[in-house]
Amino acid sequence: MHDGPRPAAGTPRCLPALRGVSLRWVSAAFFLIALALGLFGWAVGDSFHLRLATEALILSGLAISVDILLGYTGLLSLGQAMFFGFGAYVSALVLKDLAPSFWLAIGIALLSGLVPALLAGLIANRVRGVYFALITFGLAQIAARAVYNTRDLGASDGMIGIPQLRIDFLLFRVDTSEPIAFFLTMLVCIAALYAVVAYFLDTPFGRTLTAIRVNEKRAPFLGYATRLYVLAAYVVAAEIAVLVGAIYPILRGFVSPELMFFHASGNAVINVVVGGVGTLIGPIVGSVLLTGLRSVVSGYTEHHLIVIGVIFMVSVMFFPKGIVGYLRDWLERRRARGGSARR
Amino acid sequence: MSRPILELRDLSIRFGALRAVDGMGFTVERGTIVSVIGPNGAGKSTLFNLVSGAIRPAAGRVVMDGTDVTGASPMRMLRAGLARSFQITNLFMELSVAENLRLAAQMLEPAHRQLLPLRRSRRALAKVDELIDRFELAGTAAERVGNLSHGEQRRLEIAVALASEPKLLLLDEPTQGMSHGDTDETAAMIRGLAGELTVLLVEHDIGLVMGLSDKIVVMQQGTKLAEGTPEEVRRDPAVQAAYLGTGAG
Repeated sequence: MHDGPRPAAGTPRCLPALRGVSLRWVSAAFFLIALALGLFGWAVGDSFHLRLATEALILSGLAISVDILLGYTGLLSLGQAMFFGFGAYVSALVLKDLAPSFWLAIGIALLSGLVPALLAGLIANRVRGVYFALITFGLAQIAARAVYNTRDLGASDGMIGIPQLRIDFLLFRVDTSEPIAFFLTMLVCIAALYAVVAYFLDTPFGRTLTAIRVNEKRAPFLGYATRLYVLAAYVVAAEIAVLVGAIYPILRGFVSPELMFFHASGNAVINVVVGGVGTLIGPIVGSVLLTGLRSVVSGYTEHHLIVIGVIFMVSVMFFPKGIVGYLRDWLERRRARGGSARR
Repeated sequence: MSRPILELRDLSIRFGALRAVDGMGFTVERGTIVSVIGPNGAGKSTLFNLVSGAIRPAAGRVVMDGTDVTGASPMRMLRAGLARSFQITNLFMELSVAENLRLAAQMLEPAHRQLLPLRRSRRALAKVDELIDRFELAGTAAERVGNLSHGEQRRLEIAVALASEPKLLLLDEPTQGMSHGDTDETAAMIRGLAGELTVLLVEHDIGLVMGLSDKIVVMQQGTKLAEGTPEEVRRDPAVQAAYLGTGAG
């Protein structure tokens, strides 16, 4: 017979945590600081930096997309900008030729985005490792070239004259020509996206992705259809890139084939690595910091790519886990010390 | 007599010129412990790979519980009720002990719970608790598997295989590299399993197999050398000559 209280039936004692330390507070701090800075920019009338910050937030959605694959599923995509560009072009076409409706543009972009997402997913899912990286790179190059050579899409010039919008949120409307309104909308969107993705990554589905990253060969012997999981992760990641891509032309008023070029995919990967692979908030932090840095440095020199490259190298050498990864390790160590001190 | 849980008929696979498994066939009755023994390179692990879906046989049939499952994927075999462990520990080293068990136990849950919060997978989590108690892993539940000792990892390997509540458990040298004490404990644990499921075991340790098995299949160079109760196998002259040596056991 057992002494002492037994846990009630159906109440698990053991809820396995993926990591010892949650990054909830780090994320909350990030979004609050961003909010404060945004309001400060609005108060001093700095619309240039507000629009730059809005762009950084849009690009952080692309970084989330990369991190779902790289940080959780263990697959390096070098072509995520293909989906960003796809969303941007579809959205531009809808807004210019169909109707200036935010929701229509987003809806059509997401629906039509399923086609390239599934197609590319089915192709790339056949291989792993460096071959996966090369396939995703190649597919994106093909897509970028195709757009570059299509006169109806403006070829190398892209398309200009995408109108400013009023986004209807039922209770209120947001005028995208107002920098602070657009910034706050994007901040809420990215915070919501972060929350939704963080939720799914902690469900059994999301944890299976992590299991696949850690030991893909073992998972089928536990009953998991690993290829289906990887395909699902790929499509979700692609659709997130399509989503933020569809918002991009509303901010900038134009689209161009460069959105799909390798440097766009590569920058997204750099943002993720510098911010912290597999931390989800890290890629957002990395995108915001590096987008700001790129803008500042390019104000001083044409050779800003060299500066970004050096920063990337230094970051990989001395902070291989990225800013947030380093922060998380530090928090875990601190907690471990606190825990042993109490004993 | 009830039908056997596993029936292997004339299974064959060759790797190049090597006939790794050549016309192997035997049955595993429900609720028994059957061991496959044989020298290194006899094809025991390959046989396991053929049964668990890791390799597709070139010829022959695998019939599980009356259903032909020849060439089915590991995923389908698990869902049909067959779980296996590995000779070389094959776990999620970066994840915690509890999470390793949870991943395996998740198969007890309907598919839609994959997208619900983890705490809704009550049955899987209860299974994790149960296995942690049974395998005395409470002290290391939150530890990364990579930080565990070899013996603990071997124990966890069996626990993970049990987490999906299989009908048939394939254990590939479960005591490999274990200390004597751990080996004895593992043997007792395997014997305890006999009531709830069927065990097919590959082992090197003859003493362990003799005391544990209802039936022993002796393999040599991919073929079946002998089959029978431990006593029959012990007395078999061919086995004595080829494997056990004189007066073994």
